[in-house]
Formats: sequence, C-alpha cells, structure tokens
Amino acid sequence: MNTLNRRDALRLLGLSTLGVTALAACAPDASGGAPQGDTAAKSFGFTSWSLNEEAQKAAVQAIVDGYAGSNGVKITTASFPYNEYLNQVTLKLRGGQLTGAIQLDVAWLGALAAMGRLRDLATPAAKGGYTDVALSSGQTGGKQLGLPWTTGSIGLIANTGLLEKAGVDGMPATVAEFEAALRKVAALDGVIPYAAATKAAQLKDILPWMRTFGSPLLAEDQITVGDDPSVAAVEWYKKLYDAKLIAPDVDRFDARALFAQGKAAFYDDAIIARGVVESQAPDKSLTAKMAPLSRPVLKAGDSPQALLWGHVIAVVEGEGADAAAAFAAHATSDTATVATFFEKVKLPPTTAAGLADPKVSGDAFTTEWTEKITKTATANPFWRYAGYAQIETAIAEQVQAVLVGDSSAKEALAKATETAKGLQK
Amino acid sequence: MTVTLSASVPTARTRRRSPVNRSRVAAWIAVVVIGLFGLAPIYWLVVTALTPDDRAFSFPPSLIPTEITFEHFTRLAENRQLFQYLANSVIVSVITAILSVIVSAYMAYAFSKFRYRGRKSLMHLVLASQLFPQALLLVTLYALFSATGLLGSYTALILSFTTFTLPLCVWMLKGIFDTVPSTLMEAAAIDGASRWRTLHTIALPLAAPGLIAAGLFAFVRAWNDFVFALTLADPARQTLPPGLVHTYLGEFQTAWPDLMAASFVVSLPVIAAFMFLQRYLVGGLTAGAVKG
Repeated sequence: MNTLNRRDALRLLGLSTLGVTALAACAPDASGGAPQGDTAAKSFGFTSWSLNEEAQKAAVQAIVDGYAGSNGVKITTASFPYNEYLNQVTLKLRGGQLTGAIQLDVAWLGALAAMGRLRDLATPAAKGGYTDVALSSGQTGGKQLGLPWTTGSIGLIANTGLLEKAGVDGMPATVAEFEAALRKVAALDGVIPYAAATKAAQLKDILPWMRTFGSPLLAEDQITVGDDPSVAAVEWYKKLYDAKLIAPDVDRFDARALFAQGKAAFYDDAIIARGVVESQAPDKSLTAKMAPLSRPVLKAGDSPQALLWGHVIAVVEGEGADAAAAFAAHATSDTATVATFFEKVKLPPTTAAGLADPKVSGDAFTTEWTEKITKTATANPFWRYAGYAQIETAIAEQVQAVLVGDSSAKEALAKATETAKGLQK
Repeated sequence: MTVTLSASVPTARTRRRSPVNRSRVAAWIAVVVIGLFGLAPIYWLVVTALTPDDRAFSFPPSLIPTEITFEHFTRLAENRQLFQYLANSVIVSVITAILSVIVSAYMAYAFSKFRYRGRKSLMHLVLASQLFPQALLLVTLYALFSATGLLGSYTALILSFTTFTLPLCVWMLKGIFDTVPSTLMEAAAIDGASRWRTLHTIALPLAAPGLIAAGLFAFVRAWNDFVFALTLADPARQTLPPGLVHTYLGEFQTAWPDLMAASFVVSLPVIAAFMFLQRYLVGGLTAGAVKG
C-alpha cells in the first residue's frame, strides 16, 4: 500500500500549476472574444445570423461596411446559426455579453422582450415611413421593440402549369373552390395536390386554416383552440388527408422538394420560396409558373389569412444603444439601402418608399405576394409568450394524432389547449 | 442392415451440419444487416456529396447517382474559413486529449495504488459528475468563464471538454492500473526507485494502451461537440461542428450536397486516426475489464 508524501504532493501541485499556466496562455487578448460593448459613443455591436448565410452575407456586410464608413463608427459583428440563434442570443443577453443592434425573427421578439433589455424604438419607428403591417411586426406588449427590416408572410403558392393541366380555371377563392381544385389535380398521375405540412414539426401551418374557419386562436389571454371553428378546420384537414389530397409525413423541406420537382400543385412557404425552388428545380422554367395566391376564405367577403413573417432589428439598452439605433433605422428605412438590399436578396423592404422604389415595384412576384398575402397577414398570437414554440408543438402533436386516426378533433384540441394553458407565461 | 446403417450415417452428419450452416447463414445475415445499418448513411453521404444541386432533391430519391459532380469538393477547397474551423478543432481536440490523459492518469493512479481516507467517496464523486446532463452545466460554465474573462477562448473549450471527459478516463485508467501487479511497484521500491520514477517508468508504460484509448475518447468527445463549442468560443475560435452548421445550414435552406462533402472530408482525419490506433483503443477499453 502506498501513501503520498509531501514531496510527491508538491510535485503534483507543480505539474497542475504548469498545466493551468499553459492553458491560460491560450486565453484571448483583450480585443478578442464576443462583443463586449463599447467604450466610445460611436462603437457598437451588430449580431445577425444573415452575416454568415451564403445568400445574404455579402449584402448584409455591405450595409454594415457602408454605414461604418460613411458615419465614422466601428461596428463589431457577430453571428450564430439560425437554428441556434435564439438560444445563443438569450444566453448572451442574460450574461450581459450582448450589446448594440441584433437581428431577430419576428417570432422571437416576445420571448426576448420578457428579459427587459430591449430599447423602445418608437421615435425612430415614427420617422421611418414603415408600413402599418411592418410596424406591427416589431411591436410587443404595446412597445416598438424592433424596427422592421423585411416583412413578408407565409402563404400559399401554386404551380400554374399543373393547375392548367388539371383543368383548374383561375385561382380558388373559397375553401370549397380550393377543395374542388385539389380533387381535379388529384387526377394527375404522381402529383400531390397540396403539399401541406403533416409532420408535427411543421403542423403549426394549420393555425392560419383555423383562423380561416373563424377561430381567433387567442382571445385576450384565453386560448380558443378547441372551439367549433378550429375543430371544423382540423376535421377538414383530416378529410383532405383521408382523400389523399394532402400527403403524410410532409414538412416544409419535403414540400419545397416536391414542388420544385413539379410534383405538388400547392404548398405553403415564405416569399423566399422563389429563390429556394429555383435552386432545387431541374426545370428552370418552373419559377415562371409559380404564383402566390390569397389563402381561400370560408365564405366570400372574409379576410384571407396569412401568417406574418419577417426580420426586425432590435437594440439592447446600454452602451452604444444610440449609435446602434441610428444604424438600425438606416439599415431598415434608407430607401437606397433597402432597395439595393432587395435587389441582392429578394427580401421585401418595410417602408412605403422602399416598396415603391422601381427596383422593388418592378418585381412582379414580390408585388403580387405583398398585395395578395402580406397585406392581410397577422402575427401568430402565441408569439407574445416565451413558450410559444411549445404551445405550437402541443397543438401540432394533437393535430397529428387526429390525422393518423388516434383521436377525434374535438378531444385532441381540448387536450392541446390544456397543455398550452400551462405554457402561457 | 448394412445398407440401413450406411445410409443412416450420412443422415446423422447432415443433421449435425444443418444447424451449423443455418446459424452461420443467420450470422452472416446479421452482419450484413448491421453493416448496412452502419454503412448506409455513409454511402448516402458520399452519394449526396457527388450529386449536382438540382438533382440532390429528386423525389423519389435515387440510390445510385445518375450524374456525378465534384463541384462541392472544389467549393470546399476554396472555403478558407472551413480550414480555420478545422485548425481550431485540431488545436482544441489535441490539447483536450493530452490534458485529459495527463490529469486522469495521475488521478487514476492515485485511486488505484494509494490508500487514504475518502478515496472511495472521491472516486464515486468523480463518477457522479457524469450523472448531470451536460446542457445543464452550460449556463453555469458560461457564467464562470464570463466572470474569469475566458469566454470566447480556446481555454474555455479545452477546460469544459476536459471536465466532461475526465470521469470516464479516470475510471477507465483506474481499471488498467488495478491490473498492474503491486509487486512490480514493490520490486522497484526495493531496487531504490522513487514513487515518482515507479509511476513514470513502470506503471505508465504498462498502461500505454489505456492511455491511448483515454486520449482517443477525449479527442473524439472534443471533436464532435456542438453546443459548448458554439456557446463558449467566439466566432474566430469555433470548431468544425458549429462551423459546418454556420456555413451550410441557413434560415431558408440547407446546402446538403456541400455539407455532405465537407462532412466527408473532415471525418477523414478521425477515420485515419482510428484505423491507426484502433488496436490500442480496443485493447485499452477492455484491459481493465477483467482482473486476473
């Protein structure tokens, strides 16, 4: 049996100290690391996932460089992958590591607003000339916490070539006409009439249909999922599923692939669908056959439903917040800047002047999309809760249970509402 | 009778062989199925990496590529940022492996060959740290590194990876040191060797396969980590897993063929290391399993 003597213990201690010293040598210098705030009034950070996305990074970096150059400011950029962005921003905001301007998805604003670190940008918002629908995308809790950078919507897209082949005249305007059109398309060989989301991960796409059938989803703070209109919407969805007018196991990724291969007549996507489909489609003429359409209504005169979608730039209170707010206003409302940005990435601007710029208004697809879909788009009412994603998941999982025949629509939605109630915080 | 007897012998032989053949066939079927299960994703990775972008999303997908392109590998070679991620991965993984082996070797030796009060409690405490979900520790480690100014550095990554690999490495090496006869240490002591010398010239060389196995385990753990590498390192020091996600997975779409090409290329060094060291890995992992 061995015992450690004092000399051995000192040797081990010496080795440990050596190891720690060696590791400390790897530590970053004072200028490295995540954005640490600024010491001068004209220095701030800008955090954006687009800064590292192939399709957008050059355009976003050009805005940053252009503004920094012409205004004599220093902008420290940082980026995280989109799928991890909210977690990273939340962690760094909580730890005080994040300052300046931050790009946000409109769905995340409510969750981050709850942390109480975002600046109210009502003043620059009032001067920016933003459209009403765009402004609404940056509002939460009665405050303007984000300046809208791009505002679009998730809506229905049709392959006019397939519709013509199936003998569908014009775009369906009501749910009944839509269903009739799907039945005609179903006669085509190997075509899924409507590549609607049926996987739980994407089944939140059913929420606009629930609204179409008349459910508000949320009234005051009362979740109304499970009311008669939402049950009717799910039963209708189930009817399409049973009639094979929509297919099992489809999410956005599958739907895009099917549509790009010319094997789906309708699907739901954001305005960027054109670029995505173009990159995936072997038939390069397909984009010319893509047409956005207003979501069919239950009866003539109803307002078409669409989910608001977009990006905003928020500003963290603290050092550099003024300079960051000025940058956010420039990036989102300077007409030349937003028109050039649109030209490069095809994300629609948020100001009336930006939308009227020839570079934007000359793009027929964007104009048509804005007019038919974005104009009446509304935010998901659950976004105001930090647990909005879990609420959507609770509903989606129960809708899937209905689709596979494990539950009735009424029972499933009642169960979903019970789960969702516990997540309203 | 003779005829009956002579006929019965081959029948008995056939009966005896038949189950053997059947079990061999069953074993081969199992090997093929498990092999397919393991290799199919790699095959699909290579096929996707070689498929042109507009063919990669064909529906239904084609198992055999009808058209082949190397453009994704060319684009990969031109992406200097990816090589920076690769360099970061090598730095972090190699230092983590070395540090884990050094620290765990001393700890394991102390647990195995010394007797002192609290030894067993300490051993179980080391193992108990494995019971906490690592994601739970992320927030705590983030705050700790932020307070010490290490956030964003290689050190933050190396320390956190080493922390997670130590428990298993320590227990693995303790098992190996347990198999080294104490009489060897006593003989060395009689010959005048100090404990320090006994450890370094006798115990550690005997435990070499275990040290390599522990090092490989720590290396792979550091090489594959995503969440800690993304959260604790600044963009300039991020490793390959977050780097690949950052480069190829976007808000709107994923560049699957490019991602597959990059995944294939960056996995080659690890495959090569495993092929070279796998005999040590298997030997090291099992060395402490049976006490003689």
